[in-house]
Amino acid sequence: MTRKISAAALAILFLFPLLWSAWASVRTPTGFGVENYRRLFTSDNGIRAEHVINSLTVCALTVGGTLLVATLGGYAFGRFQFPGKNVLFLLTLAILMVPYATILIALYVLLEWIGLQDSLLGLSMVLIMFQLPFSIFMMRNAFEAIPKELEESALIDGCTSFGALTRIMLHAVRPGLITVGLFAFLTSWSEFFAPLILLNSTGKFTVMLAVVNMRTASFGAIDYAALEAGVTFMAVPCLLLFLVLQRSYVRGFMSGALRG
Amino acid sequence: MTLLAPARPTVLPSAPPRRKRNKQWIGALYAAPTAFVVGMFFVVPLALVVWMSLHHWPLLGAPTLNVPDNYAGLGDDELLRTAVWFTLKYTVVVTVLLFALSFGLALMVQHRGRGVGLLRTAFFLPAAVGFASASLLFLGLLSDEIGPVNDLLAGDGYLSLTSGSPNTALGSAVVLVLWRFAGFNMLILLTGLQAIPLDVYEAARLDGATRWQIFRRITVPLMRPTIALVLTLMITGSLLAFDQFWILTRGGPDNSTTSLVMVIYREAFIELDLGSAAAISVVLLGVLIVFNAIQLGVLRRRSQ
Amino acid sequence: MNRVLRGTVAATLLLAGALSTAACGGDDEAATPEAADSGATLTLWTRAATESVSKAYAAAYNATHKNQVQVTAYPNEEYPAKLASAAGAKALPDLFASDVVFAPQYASQGLWLDITDKFNALPVKDEVAPAHVRNGTWNKKNYAVPHTIDMSVMLYNKDLFTKAGLDPEKPPTSLTEFAAAARAVDKLGGDINGTYFGGNCGGCNVFTLWPSVWAAGGDVMNAEGTASTIDSKEMAEVFALYRKLYEEGVAAPASKDEAGPTWLGALQSGKIGIAPAPSAWLGIIEEKAAFKVGIAPISGINGGESTFVGGDSIGIGATSKHAAQAWDFLAWTLGDEAQVEVVAKGKGVPTRTDLASNKYSSADPRIVTINNLMGKGRTPYAKNFNATYNDPQSPWNTAFRGALFGDAQKSLGDGASALTASLKK
Repeated sequence: MTRKISAAALAILFLFPLLWSAWASVRTPTGFGVENYRRLFTSDNGIRAEHVINSLTVCALTVGGTLLVATLGGYAFGRFQFPGKNVLFLLTLAILMVPYATILIALYVLLEWIGLQDSLLGLSMVLIMFQLPFSIFMMRNAFEAIPKELEESALIDGCTSFGALTRIMLHAVRPGLITVGLFAFLTSWSEFFAPLILLNSTGKFTVMLAVVNMRTASFGAIDYAALEAGVTFMAVPCLLLFLVLQRSYVRGFMSGALRG
Repeated sequence: MTLLAPARPTVLPSAPPRRKRNKQWIGALYAAPTAFVVGMFFVVPLALVVWMSLHHWPLLGAPTLNVPDNYAGLGDDELLRTAVWFTLKYTVVVTVLLFALSFGLALMVQHRGRGVGLLRTAFFLPAAVGFASASLLFLGLLSDEIGPVNDLLAGDGYLSLTSGSPNTALGSAVVLVLWRFAGFNMLILLTGLQAIPLDVYEAARLDGATRWQIFRRITVPLMRPTIALVLTLMITGSLLAFDQFWILTRGGPDNSTTSLVMVIYREAFIELDLGSAAAISVVLLGVLIVFNAIQLGVLRRRSQ
Repeated sequence: MNRVLRGTVAATLLLAGALSTAACGGDDEAATPEAADSGATLTLWTRAATESVSKAYAAAYNATHKNQVQVTAYPNEEYPAKLASAAGAKALPDLFASDVVFAPQYASQGLWLDITDKFNALPVKDEVAPAHVRNGTWNKKNYAVPHTIDMSVMLYNKDLFTKAGLDPEKPPTSLTEFAAAARAVDKLGGDINGTYFGGNCGGCNVFTLWPSVWAAGGDVMNAEGTASTIDSKEMAEVFALYRKLYEEGVAAPASKDEAGPTWLGALQSGKIGIAPAPSAWLGIIEEKAAFKVGIAPISGINGGESTFVGGDSIGIGATSKHAAQAWDFLAWTLGDEAQVEVVAKGKGVPTRTDLASNKYSSADPRIVTINNLMGKGRTPYAKNFNATYNDPQSPWNTAFRGALFGDAQKSLGDGASALTASLKK
């Protein structure tokens, strides 16, 4: 019995900050209301519709791109041998070992060089890159876990490897795909530093940049209530996605993808 | 399972050489997008960083070669020394606490039962919030203005983050990280836990082993690769910590929570010394590569 | 070697080569003599704190000119990183503003174009805030002009003064009198405190404490900004005074932890007697306050007046292709119309000393007092100001916290050497 109580207590403790954030976001000096949200959306440096559209665009590009690259790459690593395979895999994992601050200026310069500066596409490419270690690792393991017979029977029936991939394999690694897509969405939705450095025009700013602007002030007061409204606003789509896709990504993890 | 060895041989011994070469080409083709993204957006900028570390690199104007000044200067930098100590200390603290917590949570939710799914969701939910968002959330939570924590804990003193004691500042960052990442690591450990076949436990129980003995002699050894993965992620992530200190504590009070990456940031964007910042980054990268290589080597030897 | 690797190495060398040769920057202002108001679109970057003023300037300019200025504002703390990245990629905007204390650093790095000749051709050049102009100067060349002015003054709660038996129309004229007034107000008890300061905010107390040193005839640095003199008698006395106020409990205990974000809130609460603060807060505090606010210049221990002339400077980005048009905007902002109709009307301080009394300010004698302070104040000049004083990891932070809360003499002594080392970088 005590174990159940302590488990429940822990769960409440974990949920507390999010619940508090939602509660604080609707607290006004006179009780409760949506005034903080109104400030969030209408104040000078608050969130605008274009910010949301930009964020959604970046998310779509990042999720789509990550799924594409990670699926093809995961298939390659999981099922084929080719020269440079190990080197490429290690390089991909090495992305985890480099801090943002280091590489951001170099990326800024690089994007300038290929003409993608101050563009949502350029930003998305960078975000895809940051997603690759987790995504490729996940997809590689997911593909490896598929029994060889499945693929072989498709090949015997006359499919090319691509056909086998799209018709049979993709279905088998669906939980992995959903997990990869979900995490790609989460990180690209809440990215702060990359959009800050790589985007120049206010017209291209993402929602996260607008929310952080709520924090800044010149020796003045931080608008904490509006800030928490911003945090809650950012968290809600992610929480919803999380809850809806729960079964899939848990299965994605469970499918042995991250056993090590 | 190691990271490098393929799971199964992909070629039958009697396959004709042409088919093997074709298959290799097809594999390379599938890997091409990955190679492009990694090459273009990672390797190239990284090479540029290494290149920059060998120069005095002004923002505008021509860079001048100044090997090995950037690296030699690192030894004299007192802030860097403080940051290294702090980052190491922080890494140890977080890794130990986060690992214990994640493992405990995983053990708690490993068996089917009523409400286990809810528990698992509750623990994992913080991962839905971006890290910068989570830091801002905690900024408000722990603030005097609207946060409830101060009212609950502080009494008449002030639980301030950038001042107060170095320990409260560190503590607040640690709590943030624990909250945000315990669920994620719990899931990883859970997969390792659930991969252990039940009959192994059965046999042990029949032999009269206690729970602690089962845990120590069966669970942990069988989970070695998973544990190694989790520890690697935690240690690497802690050594590279930045957001939580930048947003929550600003490296204070009195530089007591200034992490290594904060120093890189400061060097690049405030001192405007891109060469030195690149040098610190290269050294940090080197340390991480060495560490991960050792860990991989140990893991491979163990599993052989 | 794997083909992929070979390709990337080649690309790397190519990139590094291209960048090295292209990195010969330099200004190229007078490339083509175009008409100044040719209908160009100019990008202007500013920090979040200054956003409303920059946008007000831009809106008024855009309404009457063919050129159109587009303002982008960035979060204060991350703005330097943004500028550094853009500079590193040789992609600075046409115009960018920055905290005036960063101006010497940016000027020395060549991030702004040389506008010496253009500036000297202005008829009003001698009336443009001299302290700011000096900060935008490097090696005798001008790179930036004033954009906004924010000065430090003593703000006091007139109601609390009356309650404490002090004359609300006779603010203190020396720092010693200020301390006495603070003590008197503090005696009112309860949660009322005599004064308040930013005990964990380098930028805040540079702004509020240094004028007392200047008013006493001392200084915190040498003229070139390469050596620190914070161990001087004047600075030590000022620290000692504030330290005593804190130890007696006259300064609110929260001052020790104040890192800036809750400073305004503390003053708005109406529970502080008198404290040094940005002059711009006069309007903000009065708006919501139930009490009357008074203004006094910051003074030295025994008298004198001074102020820290802060705010933002603005210049033409070094990589801009519209230098002539950008200058047209800058020159316009220094003109009568902009200074009176945009700045003064918006309750700001004009950047022109001859416009201190204008049709909007004369309504409120306090505003005139503030505006006139500009001539009496200083802006400290140091190339490495940010890293030395402003940044939370700066040696200044360690030094002043020691002076206020630790071993004062040692902190000032060690601080002076640490600061000097940092200033020389």
